[in-house]
Amino acid sequence: MKNRVRELRTAGGLSQADLGAALGVSRQTINSIETGRYLPSLPLAFAIARAFESAVEDIFSPDEEES
Amino acid sequence: MTQTVTGHRGATAAVLVVGGGGLAVATWIGGQHGLAVGLVAFYAVAAAVAYVWSGRDSDTGAILRAGGDERQRRLDQDATAFAGLAMGLAAIIGAIVSAARDGGNIGGYGVIAAVGGLAYTVSLVVLRRRH
Repeated sequence: MKNRVRELRTAGGLSQADLGAALGVSRQTINSIETGRYLPSLPLAFAIARAFESAVEDIFSPDEEES
Repeated sequence: MTQTVTGHRGATAAVLVVGGGGLAVATWIGGQHGLAVGLVAFYAVAAAVAYVWSGRDSDTGAILRAGGDERQRRLDQDATAFAGLAMGLAAIIGAIVSAARDGGNIGGYGVIAAVGGLAYTVSLVVLRRRH
């Protein structure tokens, strides 16, 4: 999966710790999501989407070979 | 669902104090007084290290607090599963070696392997209904 979490976070002027605090997760988890090492659960993916006022599919998308 | 700052800083330290204390008392009762005192010192240091480490802003710190977010809990589960696999393998190998050395008696290793196998089977039945 690819995601735009880092792009949206930096555009909003947020640190990983800020976003993590807003979502109730650690900054390490935000980093892992941004680098693609961790796929968030559906509830967390929806929380991320809500935080950026976007739809989940606008933030997370399958890689070319997955689609 | 995804809360991060959960758990208790003294969680792992408490396990080390209680477990280490029990082991030290048993060793004392067994007559090894010097070893018992050494165990108390060892587990006291280990508990202090765990308490300090639990206060850190890290994945390990969160897991030592028996808390953390969904990813950290997943890390803990995976590490626990891997540790269980290693312990199970050690128990099976120990039972085989014990049987070869002691005329088919699998000894304590066999009991541990049996408990592990039974626990896995029961867990599978229960967890299958929950997921």
